[in-house]
Amino acid sequence: MRYENRQSPEGINVTEHNPVAHLLKLLAAAVVIIVLVVVLANLFASRLGRLIPFRYEQALMQHVTYDFSGAGSESVAMQEYLNTLVQRLSPLLEVPEDIELNLHHNPDGVFNAYATFGGNIVFYNGLLGQLPHENALAMVVAHEISHVLHRDPVAGLGGGLASMAALMALTGSTGAGAVGNLLNKTGMVAQMKFSRDMERAADRAALSAVNQLYGHVNGADELFKVLYQLSGATAEQETTFDAFMATHPLHQERIDAIAQWAAENGWSTAGEITPLPENYYDWL
Amino acid sequence: MFEIVSFLVLLVVGYAFGSLAERRHYRSIQKLEIEFNSIPAIASRYPPVDKAYQQQLVVGNVVIASDYFKSFLAGLVNFFGGAVVSYESLLDRARREALLRMKKQARAVGADYVFNIKYETTSVGSGRLASIEVLAYGTALTPSGISIPANPGS
Repeated sequence: MRYENRQSPEGINVTEHNPVAHLLKLLAAAVVIIVLVVVLANLFASRLGRLIPFRYEQALMQHVTYDFSGAGSESVAMQEYLNTLVQRLSPLLEVPEDIELNLHHNPDGVFNAYATFGGNIVFYNGLLGQLPHENALAMVVAHEISHVLHRDPVAGLGGGLASMAALMALTGSTGAGAVGNLLNKTGMVAQMKFSRDMERAADRAALSAVNQLYGHVNGADELFKVLYQLSGATAEQETTFDAFMATHPLHQERIDAIAQWAAENGWSTAGEITPLPENYYDWL
Repeated sequence: MFEIVSFLVLLVVGYAFGSLAERRHYRSIQKLEIEFNSIPAIASRYPPVDKAYQQQLVVGNVVIASDYFKSFLAGLVNFFGGAVVSYESLLDRARREALLRMKKQARAVGADYVFNIKYETTSVGSGRLASIEVLAYGTALTPSGISIPANPGS
């Protein structure tokens, strides 16, 4: 009996393929699927969230014992002043009677203001202290009221949770490796668009209210100019990539949008600036 | 931004060095396979009975790491399902290299054949870039010098 090993041809156990083309094809398909699923889940859940009556939000928040005013004591004078602004802006924004707004002044140095469940709006000293005049403050206040009015907190939470659940269901099989990481990031970037859209809608509604309040929109973009300065960025440094990855539109984009909306609606961009109350900075 | 750049760099470096290493490895495998064809490796459990042979276990093993590109592509395939073609060449190389090393050992002991060839494989290490080990082993038959009658019973 004779035994021999003949040299077998190549390519039987290894499939001939172009690995780069294969990768690009799969990557493109995965990104399209992820974006589509996240967008659909977000659209569906955020719309569903907005259908929840506001009183349910309020009832839920009654069980939450979170102190929005932080550890320090909030200034009564500042609180009253902010309330006055809310009362002046609410009818202009057409806030329905069933929506109750609860303002909180937090003495923390954080440069932020946010609207959350149950009509709670929090203003931090870090932001209040940077605003040069009432027109800028009114824009911030109106912006946060608009978030409550548009039901953005509940829509954002609903959309976010649904997107995350869909993402986890989709990418669970890919694990915590590079692929899972990339697909999750893609989903999150897709989700950011909804956040930016909410900000734009709130800016737009706020600008209209500010125009009605003062008869012009001069100074309404001051907040974004301050943010711009604080970020230390220049227009050239803010790239398309940054715009894509951010929860908010770029500062320059918001400044430009304000100018554009004003031009479209024929709102005056020149007008008398209303100063802040004399003791405003002492209330911080 | 940094994350995306580092990911792309890893992907490109993985592809470039992975492909280079693979091409080199295949060249070496093809050359050695021709060289070692003189020692047939047979899957059969029944050795030839033409003469008496000494039997000895011979083994060959190899551990080959995947590269970032291959692992990433395999992960993407995992998302859709289907053949993980990016790992096929990795396993093919490992199997052939393990067999060659086994034959090398067989030649070192003066064997004519290696019978009853078996393969075993396992993944070594953990994390994103796992490696695979392939072990090939068989029974090397070395002529003992004693001749066996053609019809031992008659």
